[in-house]
Amino acid sequence: MNPAHLDYETLADLAEGLLDDDQAASATAHLDTCAECRERSEELSDVSRILAEAPVPAMPADLASRIDSALAAESMHNAAVVSLEQRRRRRHWQILSAAAAAAVVIGGGGTVGYQLLGGSSEGGHTTAASTPVQDAPDRRPHSPGQNTPGAAPSPNATQGPRYTVLRSGTDYRAGTLARQITGLAGDGGRQLTLSGGDTADKLAGCVDRIAQGKIPKVVDVASYEGSPATVIALPTERSGGLDVWVVGPGCSSSHTDLIKHEKIER
Amino acid sequence: MASVSMSVDEVPDKELLARHVKGDPHAFSALVNRHRDRMWAVAMRTLGDPEEAADALQDACLSAFRAAARFRGDAAVTTWLHRIVVNACLDRVRRKSVRPATPMGDDATFDAVAPKMPDPTDAHGVSLDVQSALAQLPFEQRAALVLVDMMGYSVDDAAQVMQVPPGTIKSRCARGRARLAPLLAHHRNRQGRKNVGGVEGGGMPR
Repeated sequence: MNPAHLDYETLADLAEGLLDDDQAASATAHLDTCAECRERSEELSDVSRILAEAPVPAMPADLASRIDSALAAESMHNAAVVSLEQRRRRRHWQILSAAAAAAVVIGGGGTVGYQLLGGSSEGGHTTAASTPVQDAPDRRPHSPGQNTPGAAPSPNATQGPRYTVLRSGTDYRAGTLARQITGLAGDGGRQLTLSGGDTADKLAGCVDRIAQGKIPKVVDVASYEGSPATVIALPTERSGGLDVWVVGPGCSSSHTDLIKHEKIER
Repeated sequence: MASVSMSVDEVPDKELLARHVKGDPHAFSALVNRHRDRMWAVAMRTLGDPEEAADALQDACLSAFRAAARFRGDAAVTTWLHRIVVNACLDRVRRKSVRPATPMGDDATFDAVAPKMPDPTDAHGVSLDVQSALAQLPFEQRAALVLVDMMGYSVDDAAQVMQVPPGTIKSRCARGRARLAPLLAHHRNRQGRKNVGGVEGGGMPR
């Protein structure tokens, strides 16, 4: 019917089934008799093959960490969340101990910062835990106002939560929970305050629910057996003991999301 | 990361996203780590310039981080992520629309990545030519070909990513291939028809 050769567009449409029946029949009939157009048609299918086989230039080496930093900054914008340094340190959780644990310290007055707890003789990487944060989180309605790092413990509930929220990067394990948590609790004494953001509110509700008025020795947003978990250690009646609760990310003022509960006596 | 991600690796995408929305500080990073290479491939091929692609990928990650609560779960998480990457690329293209599509990054950039490729001479050349040929296509055709021919998406999945009917994807691919055929013709002669293994980014998303 149409003696003219088929152009690339027609051939590409034919291959995708985009031609109407008449056009398709006519194009197919032409292909049967025209080697040149068959060759052209093969060129088209080779386009897909060449595209599929073309290597993608490698991702720039620093891009992954750049994105991690951007996400960490974004997290910080919303709530008190792990810093990049701490994120990196998570890889070294095995060598982490109380001495190397870093705390997220958020004062009621809206200041945000990091502070190292305890000595730093283990591992030179512990000195990297200072990250400035630009924006202060919103004050909680019951913001305690004047808490400062190292302030004396106060059981006064009306002043809001008073405890350290750690993000030690520890991956707690069933068999070593006692040793891991005792190391952190032994370093206690700093009573700090967490505020700002939904996550912080949720965590505060969770801790209130579990602590029942006690002041936690440790609140560590970390992981347990490889899954995200918060470990809360409360003092027991007997001096030196710990009442350890491991809860999942679902823990809030209305729900415990309990993973494990264990009492440790010394 | 191995210690933490051992079990996280087994958590489905949707669950990771849900954990992120609930405030889990690690979930989103785990999700991004899982899909970063393919997201990079989409951005790099769509934009053709490593720096632009890097910026677009970062934009996309932040957009996804913020928009996670609005993910409705009617598509795969990867589909949603790639949609955000494509949109971030389109934003970059629009912002730079005065500039005609740059055929390729500067030579130094490609020389820098060339040694990492399996066959430096040939792969390098193909990569450059493909990039420069793709750059001549309108964004929509380029994005469709990146998803379907380069990333191995089905037409239906690509349609979900681009939020257009499948017929539109077919048509964009057909138009794009028609324009690329004469530009890439010399490669089929040089390469012959050997079926090289290790197709970059092949296979279905999910």
